[in-house]
Amino acid sequence: MKRYGEHRIPGRLFVVEGIDGSGKSTQLMLLHQWLKAEGYGVVFSEWNSSPLVKDTTKRGKKKQLLTPATFSLIHATDFADRTERNIIPLLKAGAVVLCDRYIYTAFARDASRGMDPEWIRELYGFAVKPTVAFYFRVPLETAMKRISDARAGFKFYEAGMDLGLSDDPDESFRLFQGRILEEYEKMIPEFSLTVIDATLPIETQQQEMRLMVLAKLTQAKQLRVAP
Amino acid sequence: MKESYGVRLPGLNLDDLVGKLIVLEGTDGVGRSTQIRLLKEWLEQQGHAVLDTGLTRSGLVGKGIKRAKEGHTLGRITLSLFYATDFADRLENEIVPALRAGFVVLTDRYIYSLMARSMVRGLDPMWVRNIHRFAPKPDAIFYLRIGVDELIPRAVFTRGFDYWESGMDLYSAEDMYDSFRKYQTALLDQFDRLAEEFHFNVIDARPEPRVIFEQLKAGIDRILMPPTGRPTLTAPEEEPEPAVEEMALEEASEERRRRA
Repeated sequence: MKRYGEHRIPGRLFVVEGIDGSGKSTQLMLLHQWLKAEGYGVVFSEWNSSPLVKDTTKRGKKKQLLTPATFSLIHATDFADRTERNIIPLLKAGAVVLCDRYIYTAFARDASRGMDPEWIRELYGFAVKPTVAFYFRVPLETAMKRISDARAGFKFYEAGMDLGLSDDPDESFRLFQGRILEEYEKMIPEFSLTVIDATLPIETQQQEMRLMVLAKLTQAKQLRVAP
Repeated sequence: MKESYGVRLPGLNLDDLVGKLIVLEGTDGVGRSTQIRLLKEWLEQQGHAVLDTGLTRSGLVGKGIKRAKEGHTLGRITLSLFYATDFADRLENEIVPALRAGFVVLTDRYIYSLMARSMVRGLDPMWVRNIHRFAPKPDAIFYLRIGVDELIPRAVFTRGFDYWESGMDLYSAEDMYDSFRKYQTALLDQFDRLAEEFHFNVIDARPEPRVIFEQLKAGIDRILMPPTGRPTLTAPEEEPEPAVEEMALEEASEERRRRA
């Protein structure tokens, strides 16, 4: 079992992090389009998407069966499945792998739910260290505005309603995401996250991202080219 | 009063647990479930409320694990975490509430089996220990120990070789017999190490079930306090004060009689 930072693989792993409404998924989608157009073998992997574990997670969320501990563990299980069956083999084959959310999402959320931060870090000790981890920094109010413009209401766990911070979903979301922001700020130096100012125009952010990604790709000798 | 192996889960208080947590460990086919059945009956006859539980029975994950195993498609890290999730769910929803209510919790396997299986599959021992550090330390761990040569006839003549119990995910090139032998040998080796580290009560699982049962009873008797108001065979010198609950019961039945 290789640990964080110990994997030696020809592929490249780029991940985006940030609170809901930070615009990270949009940026990753744009990066994906560009890499495809450039001819790289590029694969996209989403948080919480393992087919094996998804049903359990869904059921747990729907029926609100999850406690901070089982919430944490079921997400780690999902991530392990994607790592073992997807991320690692792809990186070994020389692909460019893009992840929307990575272990830092779990660190931020689980710590905000009161889980032991050291324990969670060790739990995810099998994860591959990303080539670059982008953190989209945005003020809470901006993020909330973007989300409420886009859809009606927050989901139960997304708003941290399981923590009983407030009966009002909006207020609960604000308090919970506020905690998550604090956790992200702490992780910037700890994991050398690359900070992107997510209040800048979309094009500017994308330009910054592409420049950094390009620098990492030109160093790589044997990246797989899309068929 | 219980403590964990070092990690506290939010909202899960272990300080007020008055029940006893008793673990039966041992490899596949060693006779754990027979003993659990006997012990449960015996404990209930003694006046203890008993919860018996085991692995992969949780409401949250039990089915998911079963389904995933049927397809044999889980990676080893994933499988370990799936089991840990299941264990956490059972701990929070079954084991801890029962211990709080004063039950004797008899569990067929505990974190040690999970750790042994993961380590046989080559996972980092430190990582494996860490993920189970939220588990409460049991009051007693009984390990039913058997050698692989004694184990094989039991497997062959009772239920045949099982894919997972033979570690076929590890040694797929071998036939089931060779694989079973290799896998169980490695597993027993891990158990022996854990037995030392976690102070298991080692019980020789070769004799017939009655003999093992007597040893388990003796071991459990030592950790259980005799329940109050327990009837004894020798007549007490003075009539003991009836317990409060008994008095309440008597009053209630008198009340019913008066109404009738």
